[in-house]
Amino acid sequence: MKRFLETGNFAITEGAIMAGCRLFAGYPITPATEIAEAMSAELPKVGGYYVQAEDECAAMHIAVGAAAGGMKTMTATSGPGYILYADPYGWAIGCEIPMVVLNSQRVGPVSGITGAPGQGEFYNSRYPTQGGNYETIVLAPNSAQEAMELTVEAFYLSERFRTPVTVLADQLITDGLEDISVPETDEEKKAMGLRFMERKVKEGPDFYPATDEVDVPPVVLGKGTGAMCSDWTPTEEGYDIETVEAHHKHSYRMVYKIRNNRDIINRYEALFLDDDPDIIAVSFGTPSRSVKTAVKKAREKGLKIGMIRPISLWPFPDEAFSRKAKYLSVELDYDGQMVREVQRAASSDSEVHFFGKCGELPTVAELHETFDKLLAGEKLSRKGWEREAW
Amino acid sequence: MGKGGLVMDRLSDKYLRARKIPSTACSGCGLGQAHKAMVQAIDELDFAVNDIIWGTSIGCAGRQTFATWQGDNFAGTHGRVYAIARGLRLAIPPEMKIVLTVGDGDAFGIGLNHLLHAARSNTQMTVLVCDNLGYQSTGGQYGWTTPPGVVTDSSPYGMSDPNWVQPEMDVLNVIKAAGATFIARHVSMDGRALVDTCKKALQNNGFSLVHCVFPCITNFGKNALGSRNAVNMFNWIKNHAAPLGEEEDNSEIIWRTGIYHDASNSRAEFSQAIRAQTTEIQGRFKK
Repeated sequence: MKRFLETGNFAITEGAIMAGCRLFAGYPITPATEIAEAMSAELPKVGGYYVQAEDECAAMHIAVGAAAGGMKTMTATSGPGYILYADPYGWAIGCEIPMVVLNSQRVGPVSGITGAPGQGEFYNSRYPTQGGNYETIVLAPNSAQEAMELTVEAFYLSERFRTPVTVLADQLITDGLEDISVPETDEEKKAMGLRFMERKVKEGPDFYPATDEVDVPPVVLGKGTGAMCSDWTPTEEGYDIETVEAHHKHSYRMVYKIRNNRDIINRYEALFLDDDPDIIAVSFGTPSRSVKTAVKKAREKGLKIGMIRPISLWPFPDEAFSRKAKYLSVELDYDGQMVREVQRAASSDSEVHFFGKCGELPTVAELHETFDKLLAGEKLSRKGWEREAW
Repeated sequence: MGKGGLVMDRLSDKYLRARKIPSTACSGCGLGQAHKAMVQAIDELDFAVNDIIWGTSIGCAGRQTFATWQGDNFAGTHGRVYAIARGLRLAIPPEMKIVLTVGDGDAFGIGLNHLLHAARSNTQMTVLVCDNLGYQSTGGQYGWTTPPGVVTDSSPYGMSDPNWVQPEMDVLNVIKAAGATFIARHVSMDGRALVDTCKKALQNNGFSLVHCVFPCITNFGKNALGSRNAVNMFNWIKNHAAPLGEEEDNSEIIWRTGIYHDASNSRAEFSQAIRAQTTEIQGRFKK
C-alpha cells in the first residue's frame, strides 16, 4: 500500500489507471483540470493516451469512440462541460458502450463560482442526455480516498452494464488534500473492496436482444465481427429501423438492465438508524462530512438523530428510506434537488425538510440549530432558504 | 441492365450487405453514385471487408449509407463522427482504415469545428462529404453549399446567405489551412475521375476529404429547379461543374472539380504520432 497526501484529482487518476483506463480525453476546466494534467503525465507511462479536445463535446466523443474500439476510457469535467457531454453521453447509452465520466461539481448554473463546491447536477446526472428511455448509474464519493475507490467501481459497473457511469464529485473532493491509500497488490485491492472487470468483446454481428441481463459483452468495432453500433433505434442485429416495437425492446434493455440489477450497484452509508431516530439527515458528497460530525455530536448530547448517505445516487437507494422519520436533506444547492427523491422514497407518513447552502459546507452549529427547530416541531420545508431574504 | 449495374452487383456481393441494397433513397437520388465510387476505389485498392470501418452521420448521406458495409459500421451523432473517429483511431490496429460518409450540413455546419481538429491532427479518416446542397432529409432547407438565389423551404425568396463554395471563400481552403493532407471536389457523375480521387484519398495515411455534390430530386430539384425530373437535375449539376483549370471563361460554373490539395503522407498521422511518443515515454520510464 502506498500512502499519499494528495488531491482527489490525483486519487481519481490513480483509480482510473488501476482500473485499466488507457485513454483520457478532456478539456481544461476548473476544478477538474488536474485530472487531465495527471493523466497526461501518467497514461503514457503505462502505454495509454491523453487527448486534449477542442471542447467537452469532442472530448467525450473521442473517449467513447475509443471505448467503442475496445479501450477503457474516461473523461472529466465540471458542470459547464458536463452539459456538453449530453450528445456523446446519449450515444454511449444508446450504443451501450462502457466508459467513465467524472464531474467535479462547482457552483452553477453555467460558470457560476469556479472554485467552490456545488451539487447542482444531482438531476442532470440522472438525465445526462435527452430522450428518456434509459436508467443511469451515478456514484458520489465524499472523500479523496472514496473518489479513487468509486472510480474503480465505475469502470467495473460500466463494463458489466454496458453503459457510461458518472462519478459525481465536487470541488472540495477534487481540489482538497487528503490522506490517500493506494493499494498495490491484488490482496490489498481485494481488502479494500475494489472490483475489476476486463473488457469483453461481443462475438458475431448482432447487437443485443431485448434482455435485462448484465454481463452481455459490448459491441466492439475493429475486431472483424461485422459489428454495428449507432444512435438510431436498432433492430436486434444493429440495423437502423423506425418502428415502435423495436424501440420498445431497445428501451426495455436500457431501462431494465439497470433497474432489475440494482443490487449490484446500490450502496449507501447508514448511521444511528437502529433506534428509530426522530430525525434522519440525508446528505451525499462533501456536505455529508459536516453532517456526520453534527449527527455524532448530537448523539453525544442525547438527541435521537440518524443519517443516511447515498453513495450510489442513481439508481437512488430507495431501500434506505423505509423508516418513518423527519428526514432532513442537506445539499449544496438552494433548490433542494434531493428533497424530491427522499419524498418519493420515504415512507408515506414521513416529513421531508431541506437545508441548502451552495459554495460552502454547512457548519455543525447551523445543522444543530436546524435539528433543534425540527425537534421543536418548527417546519423548515423547502422555504428554509427564505431566511436569507435580502 | 447496363454495365454500371453489373459492376455494382459485383461490388455489392463483395462489400455490401444485401439487406441494405437497394437503399431506401428516393428514386432518382444521386447518392448511390458517390457511394459506389468509394466502394469501387476500395475494390481497386484490394482492401478486404475487415480492413475498413465505415462510419456515417445523420441526414440522407448518413442514413442511406449506414450499415451498408459488410464489415464494422457505426453511425455517430450529428457532426461529431470526426471526434468519434479520432478516438476509435487510437483503439483499432494502425493498418485499418476509417471511411466516413457524411452530409454537407454535418461536415460544413454542425461538425466543422470537429472536422477542422481532425484535419489539424491529421487523423486517418477518408471523409466523403456527400453534398445534396442543403438539408434535404428534413424537407429541403438551405445549407452552406446551397447556390446563391436558389429557392428552398427556408429561403422562399431566394438564398441570400453567402455560401461556402465560392472561390473567394471556399470551405476547402479553410480545411486546407487547418492541416488536411488530401482535399478534392467532384460531382457525383464524375465517374472514373471520382473513383481515382477516392483511391488517392484512401492511400493517404492522414486526413482526406472528398467533397462530392450529388443531385437531390425530391426537394432540391422540386424547389430550386421546379422539377422532379432526374435527368434535368443531373444535367443541371453537370452543366455547372468543370475540372479545375478548364472553367475560366464560364461564369456558370459553381463546382470546380479535381484535386485541390495533395500532401498525402507528408506528415505524421495522429494515432501513429501519439503511439510513437507513448512508446518513447514508456522506454524512458522503464530505464
